[in-house]
Amino acid sequence: MDFSLNPDQAAIVAAIDRLAQQFEQMPTGFDGFVLPGDELEKELELAQYFDLAAVPELGPVAAALAIERLSRLPCTVEVALSMLLRPAINPEWPRPVATVEQGRPGRFVATAKTLVLIDAESVSVAHPGGNDVEAVESLYAYPMGRVTGEPAREKMTTEQAARTRTLLRIACAAEMAGLLQAAIDATVEHLTVRKQFGRPLGTFQALRHRMAECAVLAGGVKNLALKAAYTGDAGDAALAALQAQHSASRVVYDVHQMFGAMGMTLEMPLHLWTYRMKALLSELGGRGAQAAAVAQHYFAVTK
Amino acid sequence: MNFDWSKEQQEFRNTVKAFLAANLPDNWEQMAHGPGSASQTEFSKQFCGALAKAGLLIPHWPKQWGGQDADHWSSFILAEEMWAAGEPRGGQYMNVNWIGPTLMLFGSAAQQQAYIPPMARGETLWCQGFSEPGAGSDLASLRTRADKHGANYRINGQKIWTSYAGHADTCFLLARTGDSKKDISIFLLPMDTEGITVREIPSIIGEGDIHEVFFDDVEIASDAMLGEEGQAWEIVRKALSMERVGLPRFALASKVLHRAVESLKKLDQCTPGAMEQASKALAACESARLYSYHIVDQRCRGELPGPETSAARFATVTAERLVSEFVVEHVPDALAGGDPMLLVHHQRGIVAGIASGAAEIQLNLIASNLLELPREPR
Repeated sequence: MDFSLNPDQAAIVAAIDRLAQQFEQMPTGFDGFVLPGDELEKELELAQYFDLAAVPELGPVAAALAIERLSRLPCTVEVALSMLLRPAINPEWPRPVATVEQGRPGRFVATAKTLVLIDAESVSVAHPGGNDVEAVESLYAYPMGRVTGEPAREKMTTEQAARTRTLLRIACAAEMAGLLQAAIDATVEHLTVRKQFGRPLGTFQALRHRMAECAVLAGGVKNLALKAAYTGDAGDAALAALQAQHSASRVVYDVHQMFGAMGMTLEMPLHLWTYRMKALLSELGGRGAQAAAVAQHYFAVTK
Repeated sequence: MNFDWSKEQQEFRNTVKAFLAANLPDNWEQMAHGPGSASQTEFSKQFCGALAKAGLLIPHWPKQWGGQDADHWSSFILAEEMWAAGEPRGGQYMNVNWIGPTLMLFGSAAQQQAYIPPMARGETLWCQGFSEPGAGSDLASLRTRADKHGANYRINGQKIWTSYAGHADTCFLLARTGDSKKDISIFLLPMDTEGITVREIPSIIGEGDIHEVFFDDVEIASDAMLGEEGQAWEIVRKALSMERVGLPRFALASKVLHRAVESLKKLDQCTPGAMEQASKALAACESARLYSYHIVDQRCRGELPGPETSAARFATVTAERLVSEFVVEHVPDALAGGDPMLLVHHQRGIVAGIASGAAEIQLNLIASNLLELPREPR
């Protein structure tokens, strides 16, 4: 049991942190629903960071840490599936990679080169052409899209499908961990500078306790995501995704309460994290499905 | 980053498990519900004596005091297995976790010789004289006084909620030796000293667990003071830093959760709603476990535990609560003649957010020290 990073992991985490720092700032006058990170994506491609999990000294733990860090940025890039799913299932898949569940709109679907299509128990893969997908306007702070055509699908084996679900759960938890942390950080800043009744909001115990509870949840999600990335175990992945979705539903509500009316405006960046969390909340069947997976793995209850 | 146990750690855990299997009597689970009861106190002395002989009572203590200089993982793995078994060490867990190590740091040679060897042999029980009727979370406002009286101190006052006081041999007592907030000192007070009255307070958390202790003109020699006059806060801070992670409550919570689900299976009552609740409780247990492991890992590397310790404590309180709620809702006979370990967990869980610092105090610490929110006006 050792929570420290090996020298290679520490170096790549530091490098990704340096890169991320260049993209911390919001563009002046931004008031959109989503902030695409096209420049960040180019940098990640150039440095071959999407493939870092395949490096034995780095592995999925480094990928999970990278996903967590990059998810804290206001801009968004398809990172999680490329870094965790693609190296494990098929490193030859072109990216971006997106999931489509039960035919519904999904994140990054309009620009994806690889689609993972989940229909009930069946999981298949497709590589869409330009006419197979289209963008969808949405409140979510991801570029959303849907499948409009009939791209050729290759059905995964049962084992591949199970492995894919496990990796998707780990990716969801790692991404959620970053979003939770960023939303909390932004809210702490707001509570520190915003004064009411003559003192900073952050001095009121009612708000302090709620934020502290949010922080405990967020730290727990990160730990569980890292452990799941390390073990690759289906049970660990289900626990991590369950805690991620459970925590997010609580934290999203609380941080918006803390921001008051300011959090409703697109001029404040809060939605760039909370509406990404809302998109992740329903993925992979939501909390009910993650709980069922936990019950199956840890309690041997399948119904 | 590595989430596997080393071969040595796994072997140590197996050794502890094997010891428990061999040394817990068949009726242990029925007995475990009263951690301060006469029967468990008696059993704990016998059990801790056997633990000591097997080298499993104080492996993390220095060799000088009979330990093995083992690392923090050893004491935490030991604590996990003991707590998961219902803590057969009873109140002696405090001796090995922090009272003994505190005496090693601050005790006089005479105090060390008098008190540490009996702890190392598993023969003695201590109680902690901290809280008072008017001083709970606000401990600095305590009013029990120790006034100079010739070569002695004369102690007057009252403690409350004191665990194990009914059968304790010695009290680790905080008393006021002056009028300012900082004028508090520590005394190592034999509980059979004249003038001490102990009254057990009947409670929902188990037999013999909480008490009132009254001190009426209790005379104690000056050499019973630990450290110097007014040094209590420094000593207590150091002592609490040894207990930072808190009890591994998640270990029993997780075990009880699995037993509760097994009982539901037999009744074919594993409804999706029940299993979602159980799964969330398990996620909370595992979250608390990883928080605690992270802190133990920091301590092993010589890093000073930071505000994450409060987060670990709160995560543990949450896990206890979710498991307890699950059991009460889905296995209600736990509180009415059912599986005794479910009752043990329920009763221990009640105090999780109160003992050793209220959960709300931990939240305030997290807000100030982890989130760095501006502090409340005082």
